[in-house]
Amino acid sequence: MAEITISEKDFQMFHEFFYKKTGIKFEKTKRYFVDKRLIDRIRARGFADFRSYFNFMRFQANGEEMQQLINVMTVNETYFFREEYQLKCMVFSLLPEIVGKKKIGSVVRIWSIPSSSGEEPYSIALYLLEYWPLIHSWDVEIVGSDIDTEMLKKAREGIYSPRSVQHVPPGLLKKYFKKVQDGCYQITEELRQSIEFTHVNLSDSADTKQYRNFDIIFSRNLLIYFDDLSRRQAADVFYDALNPGGYILLGHSESMSRISPIFKACKFPEAIVYQKPEGQNP
Amino acid sequence: MKKRKEVKPVEQDERKCIRDFEGLVTQLSDPDPQVRRWAARDLVEYGTEASTVLADQLLKESEKSVREAILTSMTFIGDSVTVEALVQCLRSEDALLRNEAIDVLKNLPEQVAPIMSGLLKDADGDVRIFAVNILEALRHPYVEQWLIEVIDRDPNVNVCATAVDLLAEVGTENALPSLLRLKDRFPEEPYIQFAVELALKRIRGE
Repeated sequence: MAEITISEKDFQMFHEFFYKKTGIKFEKTKRYFVDKRLIDRIRARGFADFRSYFNFMRFQANGEEMQQLINVMTVNETYFFREEYQLKCMVFSLLPEIVGKKKIGSVVRIWSIPSSSGEEPYSIALYLLEYWPLIHSWDVEIVGSDIDTEMLKKAREGIYSPRSVQHVPPGLLKKYFKKVQDGCYQITEELRQSIEFTHVNLSDSADTKQYRNFDIIFSRNLLIYFDDLSRRQAADVFYDALNPGGYILLGHSESMSRISPIFKACKFPEAIVYQKPEGQNP
Repeated sequence: MKKRKEVKPVEQDERKCIRDFEGLVTQLSDPDPQVRRWAARDLVEYGTEASTVLADQLLKESEKSVREAILTSMTFIGDSVTVEALVQCLRSEDALLRNEAIDVLKNLPEQVAPIMSGLLKDADGDVRIFAVNILEALRHPYVEQWLIEVIDRDPNVNVCATAVDLLAEVGTENALPSLLRLKDRFPEEPYIQFAVELALKRIRGE
């Protein structure tokens, strides 16, 4: 098989196109990562070089190959109870404030984006069931969203490696998972039924407009892949998706204050989170 | 916890107004800030057609969240009308508006580059300082050259001081002769002497 290479110009062309479509930028240090995945896709589609593949992908009517590329280019490394202090913050600090202002009978809505293969939204559900004393008094809706359709499929299946569940306490592992083939664990049917997984591209306003009325958003380690402009755009999406007084939790290395001035930083015992100010219309 | 099938999606479009260009322009003046915010977000779809109305609204908009949406849309559009409007904001007495304009202009290197030399020669020393502030994060290969030109000829000590601070971060050996000349141009200014020494040390890796 002839060797396929990605020239500097090819990389630049791909990089600009991918950024416009997804808001995700690749630094030059990621060149090896990008080249390898691009070459894999060129081979998988049976093309001899980058240019012919790129033209095919750009103009393919159903966009299937573009979605395949998104799937392989996005990073999906995660595990259950990652950055657990934020889950504690949700249960012990955020929810008491949120339900304290809600009418009895209304719904608490939580959005996990990117939900990757489901570890984060399922961790949220587990934490609520185990540690939030009011879980049986309030209806909770959890939505998990991702740009990667393969990850959404995995999330709906809910099957995880021992490494992925290594931080789940043994009692909870027994209670909410069953052992399946190859030493893996599948989360219970009831929990799988309790999360709505949806496909979302944060850079596509038509995609994001319907996401509204959330009380809490988890968006951890996503904005670090975006450039300044895409971060601003994402901050706008999150702002409009939140109820007034709603909260957003970012990854430990991320700060909303450096992205947008419209959120208020709130320091809780467990974590710093960002709030859409009260009195802003939903 | 609710079951998945019980989760009702939010209606596709709860907003009741017409979302065409004329409708969005009207909503940009609505008394409800949320309506104005959504109008500002949706106007981005109209590209350069929307530049002027967004720029006009920015100058009179008092609600922070609406200004943010306007600025994001303006950054995406990034045409000459947008850049000109943002440059006008640099002359505003409103410090917040000036800072917002600087932040947006930093993100428009290709559009800002052709007017940067003019900004750095503006009659108003404050505007020249703001232009140097834009260079701080402008991804453009001429940044160092522009800064060198500033310290070679700008008569205002504050403009030069701002430029030297930035050269200490981004300067190379190309800036060394101009830095040394700057020390001679302002021998009585202790901050310039200090800032130049610091920049020299950093560039020389001392």
